[in-house]
Amino acid sequence: MIAVGALLHAKHLSRSPLEIAISLVVPVVQATLAVYLLRSGGAGDRLLDAAVGAGMMGVWSSVLFGSGAAIQNQRWQGTLEMIMLAPRRPALVLVPITLATALTGTYAILATLLWGRLLYGIRLDFAHPVAFAVVAPACILSLGLFGLLLAATFVLLRNANALANTLEYPVWLVSGMLVPITVLPGWTGPLAAALPTTWAARALREATGGGPVWPSAALCVGIGLTCAVLGAFALTYVERRARASATLALA
Amino acid sequence: MSGLRLLTVGGVIAYRALFNWTTPGMFVGTLLVGPLFQLLFFAYLGRQLQVADDRFYIVGNAVLAASLACVFGGTMAVGNERRYGTLGHVLLSPRSRTAIFLGRAVPYAGNGLLIAVTTLTGGALLLGLRVPPGALPGLALALAVGSLSCACFGLALGAVGLRLRDIWVVSNVSVAVLLLFTGVNVPAAALPGWMAAAGRFLPITHAAEAARVLAAGRGIGAALPAIGREVAVGAAYAVLAAALLTVFEAESRRRASLDTL
Repeated sequence: MIAVGALLHAKHLSRSPLEIAISLVVPVVQATLAVYLLRSGGAGDRLLDAAVGAGMMGVWSSVLFGSGAAIQNQRWQGTLEMIMLAPRRPALVLVPITLATALTGTYAILATLLWGRLLYGIRLDFAHPVAFAVVAPACILSLGLFGLLLAATFVLLRNANALANTLEYPVWLVSGMLVPITVLPGWTGPLAAALPTTWAARALREATGGGPVWPSAALCVGIGLTCAVLGAFALTYVERRARASATLALA
Repeated sequence: MSGLRLLTVGGVIAYRALFNWTTPGMFVGTLLVGPLFQLLFFAYLGRQLQVADDRFYIVGNAVLAASLACVFGGTMAVGNERRYGTLGHVLLSPRSRTAIFLGRAVPYAGNGLLIAVTTLTGGALLLGLRVPPGALPGLALALAVGSLSCACFGLALGAVGLRLRDIWVVSNVSVAVLLLFTGVNVPAAALPGWMAAAGRFLPITHAAEAARVLAAGRGIGAALPAIGREVAVGAAYAVLAAALLTVFEAESRRRASLDTL
């Protein structure tokens, strides 16, 4: 059910010109910025890292805006009552949507790698190519599970859109997707360690440039699963509250 | 006098009607806090790569911060009329379309200026940038001109929205293009020639250059040429917006597609 649902929602998202534009254009712009910044900073050997990092930034944007607005979008489309009527737990109904947003973000990684290879001649010399091929989907799916917690949390907030708009750059920053977390103030460390995005970025960076890939990937998946459990509880609570107060369809 | 009233009062009324999705929380989160984090992201990236100093990123990103409100605002000024079904009523008005729509850009430019000033202040306080007090009036002028120029750019994009179904694609891509081409985060010398050349025809580029000159304490005289170029770019987009609105309005009437979504 989760696989079929995720595929259905991924197809739905892939019909949206806005989703495609954001998934393709924004990461490519970020990757291009990173390429010129790294070149002018004399760090031309890190271009592949930059392409992968910019792709991960795209995955996060897709999860943040897609999952954060997952329930709200269903409300606007008039389909929220239908999916909540399904004889399944709310989390099982919504997790395909959040996974689909993460899968849509995969466009971003593919686009930045292809962009870097074709336009800037970046050689795709991964230190651990097999690990990269395994870890990238695992991390993307973990971010999709994190999206479930976002979906459940954001629906409780009246100004969730504002929070989503605000959270894009901070998470890019503290997760070390382009900026190494070592240059950030020390107090950001614990915050970064709690985010699956940090470990996803680290695992992919290690698969690209070398390093122990699996511990970072395992932490990313572990945090993702924890978020899924917390998100499932939160969604059950939200659904019961909405049913009791008859506010399920109220935007 | 009546034309001026249409331009200002009409613009403010339209702003209140079309910007209705906002709430204080959303305004602060999206338009004030978001750009500040963007500034910090690029400032730390710049520090790590040692491409340029903090002033380059703080001032550049503060000027760019205005683009968020101005590009999306300008697009909404036209696009939301169609979305809410009021475009036909506006176009039935016997007043000048140019004055009506150019008036729409003014509140968004004011919004952009507020955001730019807040971002500059926040960035300077957080990262410890000292701006000479004598540079503040000139900086305010550079930020205001940049915001107005960007609002005219947004209005031109909004005019394109009369022909396209999904105007949000255009505005999102345009904001990304401004981020890359205006040299706000990558020094123009480090960009390919064609990219730097294209950037000179975009809003923000010259305003950011002027603001950097002023923040470096070089005086208003050194910044005036860049401010003049930004005014020229803004005026060109205002003319383009007026022309596009006229052409697309006529075309929409001819094809009976004015309210088609």
